[in-house]
Amino acid sequence: MSAWTMGTRSLDKRGSFFKLIDTIVSEIGELKQEMVQTDVSLENGLEPTEAHSMVRHKDGGYSEENDVKTCPRYSGYDSLSNRLSILDRLLHTHPIWLQLTLSEEEAAEVLQSQPPGIFLVRKSTKMQKKVISLRLPCEFGAPLKEFAIKESTYTFSLEGSGISFADLFRLIAFYCISRDVLPFTLKLPYAISTAKTEAQLEELAQLGLNFWSSPADNKPPNPPPPHRPLSSDGVCPASRQLCLINGVHSIKTRTPSELECSQTNGALCFINPLFLKVHSQDLSGGLKRPCTRTPNANGTERPRSPPPRPPPPAINSLHTSPQLSRTETPASMPETVNHNKHGNIALLGTKPTPIPPPRLKKQASFLEAEGGAKTLTGNRPCRGREQEPEQEPGTAGSPGGAPPAEAQGDCTSAEPASSESRPPWHGGRQRLSDMSISTSSSDSLEFDRSMPLFGYEADTNSSLEDYEGESDQETMAPPIKSKKKRNSSFVLPKLVKSQLRKMSGVFSSFMTPEKRMVRRIAELSRDKCTYFGCLVQDYVSFLQENKECHVSSTDMLQTIRQFMTQVKNYLSQSSELDPPIESLIPEDQIDVVLEKAMHKCILKPLKGHVEAMLKDFHVADGSWKQLKENLQLVRQRNPQELGVFAPTPDFVDVEKIKVKFMTMQKMYSPEKKVMLLLRVCKLIYTVMENNSGRMYGADDFLPVLTYVIAQCDMLELDTEIEYMMELLDPSLLHGEGGYYLTSAYGALSLIKNFQEEQAARLLSSETRDTLRQWHKRRTTNRTIPSVDDFQNYLRVAFQEVNSGCTGKTLLVRPYVTTEDVCQLCAEKFKVGDPEEYSLFLFVDETWQQLAEDTYPQKIKAELHSRPQPHIFHFVYKRIKNDPYGIIFQNGEEDLTTS
Amino acid sequence: MMAIRELKVCLLGDTGVGKSSIVCRFVQDHFDHNISPTIGASFMTKTVPCGSELHKFLIWDTAGQERFHSLAPMYYRGSAAAVIVYDITKQDSFHTLKKWVKELKEHGPENIVMAIAGNKCDLSDIREVPLKDAKEYAESIGAIVVETSAKNAINIEELFQGISRQIPPLDPHENENNGAIKLGKQTMQASRRCC
Repeated sequence: MSAWTMGTRSLDKRGSFFKLIDTIVSEIGELKQEMVQTDVSLENGLEPTEAHSMVRHKDGGYSEENDVKTCPRYSGYDSLSNRLSILDRLLHTHPIWLQLTLSEEEAAEVLQSQPPGIFLVRKSTKMQKKVISLRLPCEFGAPLKEFAIKESTYTFSLEGSGISFADLFRLIAFYCISRDVLPFTLKLPYAISTAKTEAQLEELAQLGLNFWSSPADNKPPNPPPPHRPLSSDGVCPASRQLCLINGVHSIKTRTPSELECSQTNGALCFINPLFLKVHSQDLSGGLKRPCTRTPNANGTERPRSPPPRPPPPAINSLHTSPQLSRTETPASMPETVNHNKHGNIALLGTKPTPIPPPRLKKQASFLEAEGGAKTLTGNRPCRGREQEPEQEPGTAGSPGGAPPAEAQGDCTSAEPASSESRPPWHGGRQRLSDMSISTSSSDSLEFDRSMPLFGYEADTNSSLEDYEGESDQETMAPPIKSKKKRNSSFVLPKLVKSQLRKMSGVFSSFMTPEKRMVRRIAELSRDKCTYFGCLVQDYVSFLQENKECHVSSTDMLQTIRQFMTQVKNYLSQSSELDPPIESLIPEDQIDVVLEKAMHKCILKPLKGHVEAMLKDFHVADGSWKQLKENLQLVRQRNPQELGVFAPTPDFVDVEKIKVKFMTMQKMYSPEKKVMLLLRVCKLIYTVMENNSGRMYGADDFLPVLTYVIAQCDMLELDTEIEYMMELLDPSLLHGEGGYYLTSAYGALSLIKNFQEEQAARLLSSETRDTLRQWHKRRTTNRTIPSVDDFQNYLRVAFQEVNSGCTGKTLLVRPYVTTEDVCQLCAEKFKVGDPEEYSLFLFVDETWQQLAEDTYPQKIKAELHSRPQPHIFHFVYKRIKNDPYGIIFQNGEEDLTTS
Repeated sequence: MMAIRELKVCLLGDTGVGKSSIVCRFVQDHFDHNISPTIGASFMTKTVPCGSELHKFLIWDTAGQERFHSLAPMYYRGSAAAVIVYDITKQDSFHTLKKWVKELKEHGPENIVMAIAGNKCDLSDIREVPLKDAKEYAESIGAIVVETSAKNAINIEELFQGISRQIPPLDPHENENNGAIKLGKQTMQASRRCC
């Protein structure tokens, strides 16, 4: 608690900006206090000393050292002594305890021989949910009980609990420390909780389910901790002790000095799993060093730390100083203080050596990433400021074990390095890093911030995602450079910025569960040591090298879509993802996350190639030219000629829309492109409605959309639309995105075929029934011979300004001249002044007045004999109104009235 | 928790018969503010309970002008149901409707549910299409038929309820996987529980 308050104080200095956070923090602190008290009451005094975790970390490496020395007390269980956090242990050993396919009977069999507190996570076929199968002590009657895990869109939680977690590992880690709705805390098998190195854990993990029956699953020589169901706090005996301590001390408000050791430990119990990670990070710092003094830097922030290195620097100064301190003397790190706090729980990741190559091994990388995140925690805030949240995790990852110093160092400096080295890691680490971020920031405040996350995750995620998505694609590579630059220079203004970034970093951290998975998969896809990586890499390079393997643009895009779908299926079933996706992502989100990952690892590298190919195809088949020509024609028309009868966007709006379309071109993800299309459509609706409150359906919208697309004059839209149509997740095609995509596609095809349509439309006057019917017969039933096709008949339309069109079929023999036909028409149509009229042929959009000595039937025969069917009409009308006379005007009227 | 089933419904009919008015009436009456509205009236959604399921109608409006006719297949492709609208005061619109029915029978999705809506029944004094004609025709093609008034909110709900009833219930095996989406998001509690 004290730590929290400390942080708040520092925040106050920084300004009102953080006051809100402070408030949140203090509220959280109160909650924690309550919890602690309860916990204490529950447990009988364990030794305070054992409650090593929080306090020590805060204090810095130094505290850890003490802990280590004191470790013996903790009993073998104490993870702290080993410096591996619970989260680390869980991540490494999930093949042992995460047994989704295990049946209830099998789980019972495994747990039967285990002491109370030992657990498995499996999927219950009855409930269709994941459950924790927990071994109970004999007092409880039943040997084991199941606790259902609830999965919402963004979180995991236990049924009946209000505490949610970003993933399964955090959830389990939390319940190893705090029982919440459980009868007692979860316990890790002795071998796991006492393993000293990651290698040992890996070894155990290799046993998988066999672990439980192997000698490796040894029991503690003396079951040190009496398994008391009630001890809520202690994940391990040590933790319990901590709680007791807390109880003794009365946790309520602590001065910074109080925070140290035992008290801090108590605080840890309250802290959420998020913090665990942070601690672990700190621990890692400690690992490298005794890390006892690192706290100093933190100390600046928090008075409590005994070995305060630097004087109380401003936040900014803190950042910078940490770097120096770390690099020079790993032991003393400002960040470490924070870390230490966290570390209590997590125990150090112990990644003393910087692990540069992220991709070698999945697990290793993942772990490293975490480690990195831990180290980064201090840095992260900075990152967030500098770059987008996505990148942050990566940075964290890189520092990994070795360079806590870097991480600790200025946020700016540390960040760049990390980001550069391991962008891929970010994905995996993100969550951890996120956690760390909140904690790591030199201020305790950040921790506080993290607390609210539980509730807000969803919202922040969504908003952030949007942001990321776009930035993601373009910025991924370049940001690194910028970061480096930043690192080199330390400037106060930057520090200020860093504060702001911290904020964003906090939110970004929340986003991470999904992003982390996406990054993890993207990383895996670049690792040719994995089957999945080979699959993806081979396909990508095959496509790029074999331009002629597809016969059409559709063929190419459909093949890609199919490949993505297949790979998704593979990923969801294979065991190549480590940890399994089910442990990180709620089930109903798995497909969404996999889809995003596919975009990232397949579409992103292929985007340039696909665009070039699409254009080649369209140029080759002539549709590019066709569109280009018709686009110019359409652009010359006014809105009414296109059937538009609603307000249309003006020049400024069209420019706005063009900008959106240009942004769209930069995206590789079809879903993000569609989002932009929706924004364009929304803008069009806004213009149409013009505050009138009228709702416009497709009758009005489609013409306006056509008009707008023509005004934008972007030939590339054609390939954009095709890209989206074929590559969008099929499950989205029936929704709003699919609808407007279809409409945009329709608008483009109308434009492409504008010329052809034009001819037909001119005569298809819907206001003149006769003419319309006549036209329909011509067009619709073209293949069926009608009476006017017969040699001796000629269908003639009569066009009058006032009365409109009528059509009659006249008996016209082959060698009857136009002059005679005109006479006949005058008679049939009862024209009073035949000299004003003549017979015209309308064909190919042009009017030809027929000379008196021509033979209409011969003309008709000639037209019919052409290889391509032509639409033509014989029209008897006033000469004055020629070429674009009455009929043409009528045609326009048609448009307007239709 | 009920499963939500998404149903694509396309709207066909001459321009001016009131296709989008019917949808606007249907969607906006009893509007549920919890559901994010769509960006415009050409595509709207509404969720209604049906038995043990929730039907979420994804309603695709089409442009009724002749010149857009060739685009129609893109809109009705994959539809579970089609609402074909005519104007009871315009005989022509009833002819157009028959044309749509014919096209759907030939090129539309198999087993598409067809619902005929004779709109503007508030103007029955200038009616050109007798209800009897519409009923006989609907019967001959096995379609639902109802006369509606978007203006006066007559029979709009009934139209869509009729469609809901005609949609065959999901195969229970499919139910768990693709077709359905779980409803509701867990609400988070800010406070933690004490032990």
